[in-house]
Amino acid sequence: MSFLHINNVHKRFGETHVLKGIDIAIEQGDFLVLVGPSGCGKSTLLNMIAGLDSISEGELLLDGRCINDLHPSRRDIAMVFQSYALYPSMTVAGNIGFGLEMRKVPRKERREAVDRVARLLQIENLLERKPGQLSGGQRQRVAMGRALVRDPQLFLFDEPLSNLDAKLRVDMRTEIKQLHQRLGTTIVYVTHDQIEAMTLASRIAVMRGGELQQLGTPQAVYDDPNNLFVAGFMGSPSMNLVKARIVEQSGLPVAQVATDGATLTLPIVRDRDALRGWCDRDVILGLRPEAITDPASANHGEGNIHEAELPVALVEPTGADLYVVTSLGGTNVNARMRPGTPLRAGERTRFAFDVSRMVVFDPESEQRIRDAYTADVASLEATA
Amino acid sequence: MSNASPDRDGGARERLQRWLPKLVLSPSCVLVLFFVYGFIAWTSYISFSDSGMMPDYTWVGLHQWSRLWTSWTWGIALHNIWVFGLLYIVSCIVLGLLLAILLDQRIRAEGVLRTIYLYPMALSFIVTGTAWQWFLNPGLGLEKTMHDLGWQSFSFNWLIDSDMAIYTVIIAAVWQATGFVMAMFLAGLRGIDGEMIKAAQIDGAPVWKIYVRIIIPQLRPIFLSAVVVLAHLAIKSFDLIVAMTGGGPGNATAVPATFMYSYAFSRNEMGIAAASAVFMLAVIAALIIPYLYSELRESRS
Repeated sequence: MSFLHINNVHKRFGETHVLKGIDIAIEQGDFLVLVGPSGCGKSTLLNMIAGLDSISEGELLLDGRCINDLHPSRRDIAMVFQSYALYPSMTVAGNIGFGLEMRKVPRKERREAVDRVARLLQIENLLERKPGQLSGGQRQRVAMGRALVRDPQLFLFDEPLSNLDAKLRVDMRTEIKQLHQRLGTTIVYVTHDQIEAMTLASRIAVMRGGELQQLGTPQAVYDDPNNLFVAGFMGSPSMNLVKARIVEQSGLPVAQVATDGATLTLPIVRDRDALRGWCDRDVILGLRPEAITDPASANHGEGNIHEAELPVALVEPTGADLYVVTSLGGTNVNARMRPGTPLRAGERTRFAFDVSRMVVFDPESEQRIRDAYTADVASLEATA
Repeated sequence: MSNASPDRDGGARERLQRWLPKLVLSPSCVLVLFFVYGFIAWTSYISFSDSGMMPDYTWVGLHQWSRLWTSWTWGIALHNIWVFGLLYIVSCIVLGLLLAILLDQRIRAEGVLRTIYLYPMALSFIVTGTAWQWFLNPGLGLEKTMHDLGWQSFSFNWLIDSDMAIYTVIIAAVWQATGFVMAMFLAGLRGIDGEMIKAAQIDGAPVWKIYVRIIIPQLRPIFLSAVVVLAHLAIKSFDLIVAMTGGGPGNATAVPATFMYSYAFSRNEMGIAAASAVFMLAVIAALIIPYLYSELRESRS
């Protein structure tokens, strides 16, 4: 039995079907991130776990008990809101202690709990201030303190970092991750930022249009996407998606991609069995920018490298990397090369394709074409 | 010469631009100075003069002021304005807040209800006063209707009872202003972050505690505005009382404004009337000036 089990949960607002049967299960100590574009239903799902929205159909189990009809205050959860939702008329100490006060915890115990959390979050010197006198980052800490002080079974975070500036956001992200590691709490976290999702999560649930697209570890979601949407949503710069055609060469399926004037043939390594059935049909290839490099920085040890000479359309140095744009199958493709590689637009250079990381999608259903075995692993992982 | 003239033209236009706003505003400025501040000064002077039916500029010092403060009717008027003001402000705020909270529960037909509650504010006090006078008049309104319906023992004669008449004026005044106060509170309630209420729900606060501890403390600026608006309406209340009771029975519903009017225009005691008018001005100024000061300071920062 898993710790939090979201079992075929639906949400309807009148005629609109907002959540269409979500199944997610996580273990105690997991950090689940619900990620997706706005309107995908992730916040609605979080509100339903919190008890702020009703459940139209399905079941919500926390630690084995059904919490469908429990009042938010009786679910043993705490929530951190996007706007922090601090009570402006109370001091920081009053804000943090309010939940305990409502639960009739004696004043002395309350004071001790507030002090303990304030020490943990390093806000002891702010306890007597009002929220209006705090900076964005300090308010964020107080909001987390208010959740931590009650020591609930489950923490819910609703885009808690989106109101902070970029620098502070990265710092707070690290701090949330450290808190999670130190306290071993179970967290459900909503964000639209896939980098936040990748860095924080132990499980990522990618959602779109009220449906769960993929559930898995960050690495699994990144390397082994279920469909075109997940492939394009996760990762920055995003995965290169290239039109190609599967043909058979000496008994094996290969992918053929049109480049300027020539045809690039890439051997198929992954999902070879499934792709045998796709000969002479169009597909979409997915290649992460780091799977297309200069030959010198390609991973010759583990990877299955295929080299080709292609024209350089654009060079974008970021300092840490050099992104080189070329054209494959009619679309621009990003390749990640070593910084300092002497390249200029208009030149031709050799690109190294790590075909062992290449994934293939059905252009019509937008689903991944994968072998039965890997599909099994992916679905096992989803229900684990 | 030909080079100098565009320069001079530009200078003239610039001067005109600088002076035009002042020129346009000066007539109204002069009018306000004369008719508002000039007459305030004149009335203040009259309150220290020996004026009776006509202005008389003989200086008598505080004579009129001491007559005012020893006047029996002025005592009644002051007592009435205390009772009226206090009950009026408290009832309007309590009822207005209650209505606003009820209307804020996402009910149907909220727009219609809001308009219904706001309508009384659109009426003049004379109309409100006359309508309530008819309604509460024992020979015409509520009491007669009840008698006609067969409830012969029903009695509601506060309007002609000198101890209770002031309360009928309060009822009418509260009826008129409650909707306005409600609209103010409703605007305040709508400005409260919904996530804060969700947070309080998760914290385990029951609904009444969410209101008492979290929502109402945030409405403090609205309480302040409501008190200031209602307080100056209460002190200026004149037409409502004239229309409903005419200050009677006897002097039972006299307030400073009706006192001032009757002393100035029917009892030929312009000096005392001026003193009472200056006193009312001072009370309103004591309320409004700190309020405006704090409001303006807030908007500047």
